[in-house]
Amino acid sequence: MQLCFFPGCNTPAIRPDVERAIRASMPVLGIELVDADNYVCCPAFGSFPSADEEAWMATSGWNLSIAEEKGCDFVVQCGSCYSSLCMGREHLLHDAEKLTRVNELLEPAGRQVTGKSRVRHVSEVLFKEIGPEKIAAHRKKSLKGLHGVVQYPCHTLFPSEVVGFEESPRAPQGLRRLVEALGAAVDGYSRELQCCGGAGGFMKSTPEQAVAFAKAKFDAILAETKADFIAVSCITCLMHMERVQNTLNEQIGEERYRIPVFDYNQLLALCLGFDPKQVSAICSVPRDSVISRMTDVNPNT
Amino acid sequence: MDLQEVSVKDLWQDVYSAGNLHYCFNCSTCISGCPASHGDPPLLVRNLARKLILGLEEELLDDDTPWACVSCSRCEEMCPMNVMPFEMILFIRQWQCRNDETRVPTAIVEIYKRGYTQAVGVNTELRESLGLPRLNTITNNPEQLELFRAMLMKTRIVSENDYMFGG
Ligand code: SF4
Ligand code: SF4
Repeated sequence: MQLCFFPGCNTPAIRPDVERAIRASMPVLGIELVDADNYVCCPAFGSFPSADEEAWMATSGWNLSIAEEKGCDFVVQCGSCYSSLCMGREHLLHDAEKLTRVNELLEPAGRQVTGKSRVRHVSEVLFKEIGPEKIAAHRKKSLKGLHGVVQYPCHTLFPSEVVGFEESPRAPQGLRRLVEALGAAVDGYSRELQCCGGAGGFMKSTPEQAVAFAKAKFDAILAETKADFIAVSCITCLMHMERVQNTLNEQIGEERYRIPVFDYNQLLALCLGFDPKQVSAICSVPRDSVISRMTDVNPNT
Repeated sequence: MDLQEVSVKDLWQDVYSAGNLHYCFNCSTCISGCPASHGDPPLLVRNLARKLILGLEEELLDDDTPWACVSCSRCEEMCPMNVMPFEMILFIRQWQCRNDETRVPTAIVEIYKRGYTQAVGVNTELRESLGLPRLNTITNNPEQLELFRAMLMKTRIVSENDYMFGG
């Protein structure tokens, strides 16, 4: 199966090791990635969607036209990119006037949008298209003996009619099953579905409150689980959940918050046997405690 | 809220006429799950809906809280009346931008200039060390970037504020 890879901006610019992990794992699992040449900002919710509807739709249309030209669906890792592209497509599909106007705007660039290419989140492709069984079967390394917690990206849950792929958005299963497929035990906890709080203006406008909001989540993880790691599936969750732990440690003057955070694709690539120096190179909360405890999977057992 | 200030003008038509705004019955579901409701001042989605319905134009224009939204769409999912509060927030921001150019996010200037809010594709050494290919970004493709800019220049926000975009 072929999918057009939409890299977003934070991943290729700040966390390219996550991009490397996706580009490494997908072909092993039977997905061929084609590049989204000349893609632009998703657009981020704080940009055109907050300024002007027409420019928002035009920018969405520009991106969607790329996947349509390649004749396949988009695959996206970043939660915001995924949600923004889904929403743009939704607006264009359900409003003929908007679609006509966007195509007028795209025409001089030789582009066209119909909505025929879908937008798919990488965790949905892994969970629904590839499946935990196939992932488990391809492992060279295992997370056996380790405990993890999962952070579902809000942007893949809500609004479920537009972005959802879980049977119940209030009780999502995908990420849990995917982490379990790598051999780890996944611990549930009371604040599992709480947003990380890292996107948009919350952190910018009131950082103190945003950090306190995240602290409640981390305190719940520490009190209620045996988590050796946190598996996320969104670049904002990844960067924010590391940053907040470091901020909290500075505030209290001790290293209480130091749970390694991985994008799921990184855990997957590590278990498929790829080099940690390539697929897990960048972090601000050390990950050795997890990587050093991964065990070989014996193909004969 | 001073009800004497309530204007007869239908502010909501100007801002957000698409959703079921008038079905809002103040239940506050949109607040109870909202991360930014923990901010100071808190983002109180229900109150924004009220301001719109009551036509409190000046209050709404000065309100910074819509910009604290993290776009998680919990309110969109949970609102029992399908008001689509997250979209409402985006349309309030757009309306604020239309009426106060200092609200226009600088991110759109960055996107106009290089296609992205981040400098994508310039970290070639790091990317190479990770075994990654060169990205075919629009920043590195002047012809496509020009077409992209020309498209944006035809939209109202860019053409009316063209001084922000370097002419
Ligand atoms: S959840 Fe919906 S109906 Fe309830 S207060 Fe918010 S916008 Fe109004
Ligand atoms: S989308 Fe925005 S307003 Fe709605 S719950 Fe999330 S942060 Fe709050």
